[in-house]
Amino acid sequence: MVMGIVYALVNVLVFVLLAPFYDGVARRLTARVQSRKGPPLRQPYLDILKLLGKENVISAEGWPFRLAPLSAFASILAVIVLVPLGAKANILSHRADVITVVYLLALGGVSVLLGALASRNTFAMIGASREMMTMIMIEPVLAMTLIMTAVKVNSLGLQGAMAGVSASGFGLSTGLMLAVYLLALQAFVAKQPFDIAEAEIEVLEGPFIEYSGPNYALFKLSMMLKQMFYAFLFVSVFLPAAGTGVYPLDILIQLAAILAVFVLIAVVGSTNPRLRIDQAVRYYAVLIFLSLCAVGLALKGL
Amino acid sequence: MNPDPFGALFAGLGLLAASAVVSPFLAGKRRLAGTVNFLLTAAAGAAFLLASVRSLSSGAAGHATASVAVGPLSITFLADGVAGVFVGLIAVMAMAAAFYSIRYMEHYADYGLRSYYFWLPVFILGMIALVTVDDLGPGFTAAWQVMTLSSYFLIRFEHRKRGNVRSAAKYLVLMELAWLLVAGGAFLIDGHAFGHAMPEIAAGVARTGGAPLAIFLALLLIGFGLKAGVFPLGQLWLPDAHSIAPSPVSALLSGVMLKTGIYGLLRTFFFLAPASGAAFDSRAWGAVLATVGVVTLFIGTVQSVKQSDAKRLLAFSSIGQIGYIVFASGAALMMSGGPDAATQALAAIAVTGAFYHLLNHAVFKGLLFLSSGSLLFATGTKDLNKLGGLVRLMPVSAAVAGIASISISGMPPTSGFASKWAIVTSSLLGGGAGAVLVLFGIVALFTSAVTLACYVKFFGMAFTSAGTEWTVAKPVREVPASMLAPKVALAALCLVQGLFPFLFYGLIASAFRSSEGFLLHGAFPAADPSGTLSASVLGIRLAGLFGAPFNAAASPLVILAVLAVILLAASWLRKAGGGGQRTAATWLCGYQDIGNANRYADRNMFAALKGLLRWTGGKTENPGP
Repeated sequence: MVMGIVYALVNVLVFVLLAPFYDGVARRLTARVQSRKGPPLRQPYLDILKLLGKENVISAEGWPFRLAPLSAFASILAVIVLVPLGAKANILSHRADVITVVYLLALGGVSVLLGALASRNTFAMIGASREMMTMIMIEPVLAMTLIMTAVKVNSLGLQGAMAGVSASGFGLSTGLMLAVYLLALQAFVAKQPFDIAEAEIEVLEGPFIEYSGPNYALFKLSMMLKQMFYAFLFVSVFLPAAGTGVYPLDILIQLAAILAVFVLIAVVGSTNPRLRIDQAVRYYAVLIFLSLCAVGLALKGL
Repeated sequence: MNPDPFGALFAGLGLLAASAVVSPFLAGKRRLAGTVNFLLTAAAGAAFLLASVRSLSSGAAGHATASVAVGPLSITFLADGVAGVFVGLIAVMAMAAAFYSIRYMEHYADYGLRSYYFWLPVFILGMIALVTVDDLGPGFTAAWQVMTLSSYFLIRFEHRKRGNVRSAAKYLVLMELAWLLVAGGAFLIDGHAFGHAMPEIAAGVARTGGAPLAIFLALLLIGFGLKAGVFPLGQLWLPDAHSIAPSPVSALLSGVMLKTGIYGLLRTFFFLAPASGAAFDSRAWGAVLATVGVVTLFIGTVQSVKQSDAKRLLAFSSIGQIGYIVFASGAALMMSGGPDAATQALAAIAVTGAFYHLLNHAVFKGLLFLSSGSLLFATGTKDLNKLGGLVRLMPVSAAVAGIASISISGMPPTSGFASKWAIVTSSLLGGGAGAVLVLFGIVALFTSAVTLACYVKFFGMAFTSAGTEWTVAKPVREVPASMLAPKVALAALCLVQGLFPFLFYGLIASAFRSSEGFLLHGAFPAADPSGTLSASVLGIRLAGLFGAPFNAAASPLVILAVLAVILLAASWLRKAGGGGQRTAATWLCGYQDIGNANRYADRNMFAALKGLLRWTGGKTENPGP
């Protein structure tokens, strides 16, 4: 009971404290690829602290605009509380399952959209429309990654589904899903070539254009958390757990692997041009089809 | 206490008939007629709720039936647990709609209300009768015709508007066809006569086998499917009819009338067909229902995203949500004959999910139609291209519509989440009864993201964003308190449905327990069912199926608590810097202010997705002024 609560708190602390660091790594690497020096690794921490101290400038009265950053942050952090970091179940692991996580991630997306629509800004709404389409097309891939392992172990529980390969071994289905996950990774974390909703030089950060100060700090932090979550999910599902059984060591191994995923994200992101939304949507449709195939293979026991 | 529910039931029907006689005479004074109608409907509703409670508490005491002789024919009524829950649901929604009508009907200043206040109570009467009659002959015919005719006149209420009479006539013709299919199909049963009550029909079904039985079931599937609005039958009439009726009527049409079709399907496939024993292939029919359901939920929802008319959007989305219910029923039927005990246990979860979603959908879709009525009342338009920015002008309506929107999208911890969780979980784990169920479950999950898109659009474009300041000339005000009250009550009910799923699991289980002849009767024992399913205030949990220590869990209250704690912390963090707050104009790169010419209209939303899914069809109509 007490340890269950401790594990949940460790999840929160590890993610909130380290997500900006991984973002710093990605920014630095992107800069190096583009022959720039790049900001120091602590820059994202400083950004968030500075934003939190600034004045909140709001473009629209009413609760939706004010609620959006809070609920975006709350839903991604709620997901993080539930997951088995270091392969340890916590107090909430048996109160939620894969479906809860999928819907909570959608709730986070909706919060961004709500804020964008509430801001009354045309650019924000273009961004919101793109964000929603991305969500519709890319969330099934995430869901199927978890469902694929869930059908193998006959449990939608997070510990079973996220243990993935280490629970059921590598097979044809896992291999295919691994490939699909990698192909979808940039879209999950909203980096180039799939940063279509935010697209700074096109729609000026899209959904976030009217947000500033502490509100924007919350959005920024939730985006970093989301990126770290998707990297963690990849590590957790597809890399056989170190399985040392020593909780801190397991976490450290996972964190090191997450760093490697961020290197990949940064390198792919800095070397690819952005796609148009209609191109991206067709691309996602192929990914959905492939992940359906992977689930089908898993059902056949392959 | 007298356990017989029929006294209360007939008293309620009598009160509705009284309202149909009295209220039209007062129609000259609109509010008075509405108030009288509401009071009589509320009294009838209280009687129906009492009947509902009695039918549920009667336990498995055999058939609770009563016969009423009408001339040479006798009509048998049945009030078992399943009928009882439907009666209660209709009563709740009818009271809300009647209350809402009092002020809402002022919107139609050019039309007299005499026919409205005659047909509205008759419509409710017809629906109650339809879910309590126990035959496919005289009782069914009478109830169906009363319900169909009254709803026809309610749908064509705005008969001077072009196209409305035609849409209503289409509805009437198709519903008569549905009646013909069901009442006529019954003659395929061995030894069937028009006056037979259900036990005799069941006995006949037991003697019928092979092709006649299959054709009989297919005819009933088409007939009730027409009513419920499954693909492609629902598309023929539902969006046209639901979008032109006055909003409280639309709320009743989508909220409860469609459910009478589901009721028919439940009675057919879970009560009547199993009577034939081995001649009924539950797995094949389950596969048919599940396939129909999954196609319906996908197509209906995708078509809904394309709509810009708020009420058309809601109507198409009703088709989609009905798809979930049909899909879950079919999945339950498939799993009921599953290879192992665990799969059969999942059948109980699936059918509970179907019933639960039916109750939830009635409330939040009723609420959404009442919300669209408020939009129409306050602004005079239901075109999402013109609406926008109403959250400041209509804060209560916005909050209520927000609750309904996140509920139908299935966001935790709302009612849509609780019921869709049961549906998706059971199908994802129920692959043993057919791998296709897992794929269907994935489609259902994908479709709920599309539902989300729909309601982000509906809520976002009507209440947030910007628009009415340029498109609506008259000053927009919040709707009167008597229109808010039923919406707030339904919103509260909607929250309860989401946060305390164990209450509804208990209700549904006791409804099935007190219904004789139910296919999955054994899956709902009075004592704790072997610990697989634990339902408590903390949520629903499945454990021990297929030898896994833990299978799945949905805990709305726990999720709510987690979200609330983080929200509070984030809200503190936001203020911690002490930077203060200031309002500034929307920033469009400094050249322009936002105006009617450069705002983002509803038709532009999700263009790429609509392009990708063009093949799914779904007629969009210019909603006019």
